[in-house]
Amino acid sequence: MTTIGLLINPIAGMGGAVGLSGTDGRVTEAIRRGAVPRAPVRATETLRLLADQGIRFLTPAGAMGATILDSVGITGYEIVSFPDESTTAADTREACKAFAAAGADLVLFCGGDGTARDVFDVVGRSVPVLGIPAGVKMYSAVFAVNPAAVAEVIAGFDPARLHDADLLDVDEEAYREGRLAVRLYGAARVPSLPGRVQGAKAVFEETDDERAKREIARFIAGVMIPETLYIIGAGSTTEAILTEIGLHGALLGVDLVMNGRMVAEGADERTILSHLEDAAAARIIVSPIGAQGFILGRGNQQISPAVVRRAGGPGRIVVVGTPAKLAATPALYVDSGDPVLDSSLGDSVAVVSGYGIAQRKQVIHSSLRSGSSAGARWGC
Amino acid sequence: MQTKILLDEAEMPKRWYNIQADLPRPLDPPLHPATGNAVIPDDLRHIFPMELIRQEMSRERYIDIPAEVRDILTLWRPSPLYRARRLEAALKTPAKIYYKWEGVSPPGSHKPNTAIPQAYYNREEGIERLATETGAGQWGSSLAFATGLFDMECTVYMVRSSYEQKPYRKSMMQVYGAECVPSPSPRTKSGRMMLDRDPDTPGSLGIAISEAVEDAASHENTNYALGSVLNHVCLHQTIIGQEAEKQLAAVEAYPDVVIGCVGGGSNFSGLSFPFAAGKMNGKHPDTDIIAVEPAACPTLTKGLYAYDYGDVAGLTPIMKMFTLGHDFVPPAIHAGGLRYHGASPLLSRLVHDDIIRSVAYYQNEVFEAAVSFARTEGIVVAPEAAHAVKATIDEALHCRKTGEAKVILFNNSGHGNFDFSSYEAYFAGGLVDYEYPVELIRESLSRLPVTG
Repeated sequence: MTTIGLLINPIAGMGGAVGLSGTDGRVTEAIRRGAVPRAPVRATETLRLLADQGIRFLTPAGAMGATILDSVGITGYEIVSFPDESTTAADTREACKAFAAAGADLVLFCGGDGTARDVFDVVGRSVPVLGIPAGVKMYSAVFAVNPAAVAEVIAGFDPARLHDADLLDVDEEAYREGRLAVRLYGAARVPSLPGRVQGAKAVFEETDDERAKREIARFIAGVMIPETLYIIGAGSTTEAILTEIGLHGALLGVDLVMNGRMVAEGADERTILSHLEDAAAARIIVSPIGAQGFILGRGNQQISPAVVRRAGGPGRIVVVGTPAKLAATPALYVDSGDPVLDSSLGDSVAVVSGYGIAQRKQVIHSSLRSGSSAGARWGC
Repeated sequence: MQTKILLDEAEMPKRWYNIQADLPRPLDPPLHPATGNAVIPDDLRHIFPMELIRQEMSRERYIDIPAEVRDILTLWRPSPLYRARRLEAALKTPAKIYYKWEGVSPPGSHKPNTAIPQAYYNREEGIERLATETGAGQWGSSLAFATGLFDMECTVYMVRSSYEQKPYRKSMMQVYGAECVPSPSPRTKSGRMMLDRDPDTPGSLGIAISEAVEDAASHENTNYALGSVLNHVCLHQTIIGQEAEKQLAAVEAYPDVVIGCVGGGSNFSGLSFPFAAGKMNGKHPDTDIIAVEPAACPTLTKGLYAYDYGDVAGLTPIMKMFTLGHDFVPPAIHAGGLRYHGASPLLSRLVHDDIIRSVAYYQNEVFEAAVSFARTEGIVVAPEAAHAVKATIDEALHCRKTGEAKVILFNNSGHGNFDFSSYEAYFAGGLVDYEYPVELIRESLSRLPVTG
């Protein structure tokens, strides 16, 4: 029997809609301003689909879980915590600690990017997570597209088939000013879909994400050449390349490698530029970041337009990404802040997705506004 | 107006055409994997019958087709030549499109054209069993069909990913009486080595070849058979091009453009070599001969012309050919077949000498072309043949622009009746446009075997 830790952030998504800077402990005010509580609605839709699946639920008392389980007729759940009526991030963390301690197979949460980070802070990569989308900002790749997709993923849940999903931290201030400035916060584990399209799965990639990462890493390691400075961007796919060549880098930062040795770990733009001064040749290796698949400008901001130019231009960029990640991102985005550089990348890019093989992906030169939706979210 | 141009059985060619006779320079010799010296016939005797070794090295222009082989070939040969009028109309092209339809053979592709003579020569020399590899299953089912007719046993090492994805090809081999084993298998040293290194490997043609060669080399009564690449295989397929030449002559036509798809290169060679001869001897110097490949495995388009092994374990002779490197394992999930790291040395030479040119296409555009073909001409082609269809459509559309009424001939090498999962994926938007990261991989080609 699958044990799921269920967590609903009842106020997720309410603040943004009514111009509150944050909703923690301000539900009444948000409702007074006309906010519709989205999370309980989305959670209810999802849980109705999960009612007869023989799932054992662990959940906090009240609005963070038990109330909604009761409303859809799911009984026999176990209460793990007793949050106050005005729920906070601390309540989320307390519930997640209890889920992990009770051996939950999966944490199913309903919220946005903020909730995702709170969950991740506690369970890390030890327990897989899955998001029911309900927040304002859902740029992280842990959300399914809708409640039906959540139910489908859970029905096919196999603890042995997981993949990495980027968690993003969106700069709130910039966001309110209409700019999207995000950084990679971490890589959570999420369940993989058993087969994305019924009946046609025979021609889809069957290999799991970890295996794909190893193959990409083995290939890149095999084509690395001496006396070339490798500027390796953030993400778990690029991290696998470092592991392959026997190095440890900064998952969330940019590392510099030359002749198989770590030259600088977690380098900032200035450090990268100074190493580029001395290097005869350079290559930039990046992986698409987040649910939208940013290859430049988001999560890789140290790899600035100046860095790309100094390295020899867009032709020196190698994009790597696992098939699971690429399947979830129909197009890749660039937004380095330099439109000329962005457009010189062309309309498509070959993304190395395995040993000796790449996928052609469309590139969109975007400057996303805060009002736009999260677009291509992970799901089916 | 005639749609099908048919030949009588009596008009079926009685000889194969050997293009080695017409090469300006002889082929670079295959080299022994252990010594690096040029291969001599004795080196190959433990896996091939003498007559096929003789054909492999022959420079005679024509080689007789044995009467017993011709008798079996009449089960489906001569194959029809079609004029694709409905496709022409749909494309609004002044071009005249002809295609040779090889899907009429019992196993459904051009492969039995060589499976029959290969089984025949082996039986003539007392061999009781053949071992081979197969990717998508067309070759395996063809050799199963052929060995069955000669009362021989047959073991087929089938690339594991295909074994799991195409259960009906496996059943077909069983119907014909062959044994089909997923590769890599624990039966051979090469297979065990691959499984130790990577228990979940999807397999590849290069690995399956290693297994079949090892099986043949280690059993006295067993020989090896290869479905493409080798000179004698291309030789046996020239019956296609010779028939097409006669059929076109019957309507007073000669192709301006000759098109075929390339994996190892045998169906393409079979159609094009008689026309390549016309190009080389000056009778038809302007024939445009186009080899079509998948962007995921663009051996002729992006590979290196160099000596390389034919398999992963390095058991086969080292051949001078276009190659992506023998350790290249193309994505098993690529729907379009044509996944071999090398190409026929004969074809490679002609591409290298600019007699033949090559183009590469992505999966989705290839399937789009195949669907257009099915909706006009009715035949659901194999994904491999769909590459030829795509290039044909592009050439015909080019003719629409220029107003030229070119004669385009392509080889429709087989039907796609076992490939509907790929078509389904195409319609579901689930086909990925794979490509070969050529710039990065140039370095990996430095790992080719050192020769000379």
